[in-house]
Amino acid sequence: MGFVIKPNINSSSFHLSGRSFFIRRRQKKKKKKTRRGEMAEDQKKKSCRFWIWALSSVVFRLILISFPGNLNLSSRPEVSTPLTSIRRLAEGYWLKQASMSPYAGSMYHGSPLLLSVLGPLTVQRIKGQPSHLLCSLVFVIADILSAMLLRGIGKKLQMAYGLNARLLGLLKSSRDKGILPCGDIAALVYLWNPFTIVSCVGLSTSPIENLAVILALFGAVTRRVPLAAFGLVIATHLSLYPATLTIPIVIILGYGLDAPPIKLFLQTRSVENEESSTPTVSKQPKLKQTTRLPFLWKTVAHFLFWVLLWSLCVLVLCAFSLNKYGGLDEMFKRTYGFILSIEDLSPNIGVFWYFFAEVFDFFRNFFLIVFHVNILFMLLPLAIRLKHRPCFLAFIYLAISSILKSYPSVGDSSLYLSLWALFVNELVDMKFSFFLFCGYLGISLLSPVMHNLWIWRGTGNANFYFGNAIGYACFQIVFVVESVSAMLNHDRALKRCINTNHGEVKN
Amino acid sequence: MAADNRYEEEEVRTDDGSPITKPRPIVRLGIFLVAHSPVFSVVFSAAGVLALLLLPLLAKNTYISENALMPGSARSMLSNRDASDGSKLVKDIKNFRLNHEGQVQRLIGKYMSEMVAEVYYQKFQPEGNQFHPLHFFSGPASYTLLRNVSCASYGVNVVGIIRAPRGDGKESIVLVTPYDFINGGDYEDLSLGVVSSLFSLLSRVTWLSKDIIWLVADSRYGDYRPVAAWLAEYHTPSFKVSDQLKCDELNTADNFRRAGTVAAALVLKVDGRSERFEDILSIYADASNGQMPNLDLINVVNYLAVHRQGFHVKVEKVVSLLSSSWLKIVGEIFEAVGKVAHTLNPDWKFGIPAAEYIEGSATLASSLYSQAFGIPTGPHGAFRDYQVDAITLKISPGFPPDSKARQHDFFLRGSQLLEGTIRSVNNLLEKFHQSFFLYLLTSPSKFISVGVYMIAFALLVASLPMVAASLYVDGCKALTKSTHNSAENFKSWKWLDAAKQVFALHLLGFIVTLLPYFICQVPGQHSPRNRSIMWGTTSSLLLVTFVTIPGCSPFSSRLHGTNWAILKSVTISAAFIGLCLMSIINFATAEIGALLLVPTCLLAQPIKPALRSRRVKSLLGAFCSMVLVTIGFPVIFFAITKGLVGEGLVGLSLGGEFWTWLESLWAWKSATYLYIGMVHLPCWLLCVCILFHPS
Repeated sequence: MGFVIKPNINSSSFHLSGRSFFIRRRQKKKKKKTRRGEMAEDQKKKSCRFWIWALSSVVFRLILISFPGNLNLSSRPEVSTPLTSIRRLAEGYWLKQASMSPYAGSMYHGSPLLLSVLGPLTVQRIKGQPSHLLCSLVFVIADILSAMLLRGIGKKLQMAYGLNARLLGLLKSSRDKGILPCGDIAALVYLWNPFTIVSCVGLSTSPIENLAVILALFGAVTRRVPLAAFGLVIATHLSLYPATLTIPIVIILGYGLDAPPIKLFLQTRSVENEESSTPTVSKQPKLKQTTRLPFLWKTVAHFLFWVLLWSLCVLVLCAFSLNKYGGLDEMFKRTYGFILSIEDLSPNIGVFWYFFAEVFDFFRNFFLIVFHVNILFMLLPLAIRLKHRPCFLAFIYLAISSILKSYPSVGDSSLYLSLWALFVNELVDMKFSFFLFCGYLGISLLSPVMHNLWIWRGTGNANFYFGNAIGYACFQIVFVVESVSAMLNHDRALKRCINTNHGEVKN
Repeated sequence: MAADNRYEEEEVRTDDGSPITKPRPIVRLGIFLVAHSPVFSVVFSAAGVLALLLLPLLAKNTYISENALMPGSARSMLSNRDASDGSKLVKDIKNFRLNHEGQVQRLIGKYMSEMVAEVYYQKFQPEGNQFHPLHFFSGPASYTLLRNVSCASYGVNVVGIIRAPRGDGKESIVLVTPYDFINGGDYEDLSLGVVSSLFSLLSRVTWLSKDIIWLVADSRYGDYRPVAAWLAEYHTPSFKVSDQLKCDELNTADNFRRAGTVAAALVLKVDGRSERFEDILSIYADASNGQMPNLDLINVVNYLAVHRQGFHVKVEKVVSLLSSSWLKIVGEIFEAVGKVAHTLNPDWKFGIPAAEYIEGSATLASSLYSQAFGIPTGPHGAFRDYQVDAITLKISPGFPPDSKARQHDFFLRGSQLLEGTIRSVNNLLEKFHQSFFLYLLTSPSKFISVGVYMIAFALLVASLPMVAASLYVDGCKALTKSTHNSAENFKSWKWLDAAKQVFALHLLGFIVTLLPYFICQVPGQHSPRNRSIMWGTTSSLLLVTFVTIPGCSPFSSRLHGTNWAILKSVTISAAFIGLCLMSIINFATAEIGALLLVPTCLLAQPIKPALRSRRVKSLLGAFCSMVLVTIGFPVIFFAITKGLVGEGLVGLSLGGEFWTWLESLWAWKSATYLYIGMVHLPCWLLCVCILFHPS
């Protein structure tokens, strides 16, 4: 009797925790035939739909690019920060052309390499076309590349997810039906996110920074060590904050992709052994050895070597391009120094500008340290807690740095939002989703209005815009906290699922 | 939105099965509110309407906030000689006109230069109503495009500048007198007389520290356009040589002069005789999109006009409300309540007499209306685009134009009022910032600040997130039941389908909003009625196409399609976000919009089950929602308001009128137009969808 009833109870309890499809698949397993042809067709249709949507997003961008003067996005504080503004880049390029240091006059604060790549494009004009057309095209291409790389990452993660589910005995069939194609979803989220579109059309260099970050992750996930190192070095060179990604990338390379905690596998394994208890007693000692995953020191060392090599390359190139204008010293002072000392207090969607405009000068250094250490403090605890899910850890790091950045823009949010979409399978039960969606929507509409009220109408003041920035920060924090707790809940649910499964088996 | 937050907490508690420790009091309060949302939504909405009615009671007396202004502290230096200068100008203009001696501008220019002012003439081109959708999103400077210039129609402004003896030329005050040079009436001449009296004084005084600019705007093509053209030239000089220069013998090339940032501007108009014996001064202050000048400027003028010059000051009011009986009853009730409260505790003094209440309400209604309309009430509106505080003073003299003795006195008093105001503004060290920018007037000396009137709005919309939250919880439960066996069960993402539909309809609203741009491009002359028909048909065609697209149509009843409760929840959230945004852009629009949209959204329910159940309560609910939805349609609401004003409109003429009305909205870049198209219309459509939902 108990044997019959139990599955039902299980299914309802899983149903509540949202992980029901595993069990249901088990129940339906017998009924189903393998309809391979149909599946393949379905797959084809899905990928066709993906390409249609991706292409339409590109077309949409191209349409928007054709009238940038009217939209005036490149002057929005939400889109272009002192670090990512193309106008500043063009100014730096002009200075360099005029045989002056590109950093003269505190206009440009980006990388000298970006200057030599994008700089010529800011000057070139095609007759009858809007200015900066070539730059826009570069950004569109960067967006497409990022989306494709995200898709690649997603495919790997999806495979890993299916594999783990099968290893844990939660998914018995070889096909991955019921698992969402997270790569496609993430790519589309990236391409169709209004934030991405705005920062692409608004001529900020953040698409390129995002591309570098995604490249690093892609390299790590597909175990192309030189590529991962290259992405990481370039991303760090461009915007400093991705340096935190070293930890997740090392974990990915050392331990492998995202997986449920190792304990669960051991549990399943031990139960399986109990089931087939008698035949092999000799396996027992072997099992004990595998309570810890091996850390692939060799790969990591390989990675570190490549990081050193690429950094050396980048530094040499930079030194070469700046040798007449103060060299690397000047570069570090004007880029990283500018980021860390928060010299530009013009309003943006972050919370630092207001605070440092208010703070007394003699406390400034102290608070600079306090604000920057905020990010560093969170690195280690998160790495310990989420070490079994390094990609998710990378997402959390990026989200946190986009909250606590000195010059954040919507481009940073677009990056972490699309990375978040890579984990749709794990995060289906995330709470507050609708609330967060409404919040992000409301804030992003409110921000230009508040800015207009303050700057153009003169009826508001800085507090209006800053209030908006605080709201935005709050929503981001809720988003990060909810994501992490949903992920941990997912792990717990898996554990419970396995326990009940075993109970069933024992019965 | 906070409430949204809370119901999720509730979900956590119920779904986990295991009893979690007691939530915090604020969370419990939220759960309580969400659980009893029908009651609370009624209470909050009623409180919102009541608070709106209470606003005239809560109005405060105005006060001068900026100390530097010191209105009326200096004795007026204006003498009879200055006033007679003004009289002389008026007489000369009359003779000039009678003898047809050429352009009046020249005469005025001559007068100005006699008063040691720098004079120049500016030509401008009158502009037609052109709708360009992107102008809503761009600043004032970006639409100065080169147009085909014809010599057939252009206007000429005359500008005189007096340099301040104590100033450094970085600040200025502008005086504007709109004047029709071709067929100006006798009363219009008086406004020139008043300002020229003042000008003759100001050319002599030593206390001036801001330059004075006198702009005689050529009001042949409306009051607003010449002032806007002058301001555009003043702030964004164009370096192209315009073809207009060749059109006339008046040499206007290369002599446009400036005088620093404009601290304040006063527009003076004199028109028609007042029905009383005394002179009446009306103050107009509303600029585009409900923007108001700093309250201090109005205060100064009001103070000087009432306490120094003895004008009867008034602001606009809705005359039809003055005789309305229901308002009288409300006023009497409030008066009675106030009296009762006064007997209970003599310190409670919130009651005002019923007559005063009615006056205040009529003024408040007019204030709300003109702000919601988003169209400036005079040439002062052009200044607001450049962050300059400006008001229009319209004086209706209480004497016939040919009475010489009264005219002299009138010049004296009018220019003394202006002198006092200029003297106050002259004292300012910074731009106006002390007093309010966001306020509603209930009389020239009473106002309601943003902190008070926002309460009414907040109460009205507070019920939206609560109801959205409770509907969301209900809908989720219902969906969980219905999709028990389906393979996909994303507890937290059920709203995605509904959000898709809501987004589709908002996209439709966006397209419909932009359609008039393309309709205006249709070649050939079309009457407004035809254009509105075109608009209506294309919009309905679009709607039909949208509805037939599977996935985004709210009518598609798929196997486990969206539950109407979730659709309504998402709709209400969208309405909430839209209303809150609009309340920041233009409060009055949001308030009126909320009065329409909130009950419609709250009461919208599928009528099918109501008809099936045949219970009185549900039938009544269905009837109410039908009525509200009918009224909520913008065209019908427009017709009803027109009907209330007294112009009955039916059939196609209504379409034409509606088109003309909307045309005026977009011509003035009023955000109300965007609100109607992108918030109100989609939410209304969604309410219709919910009404006819196949549940």
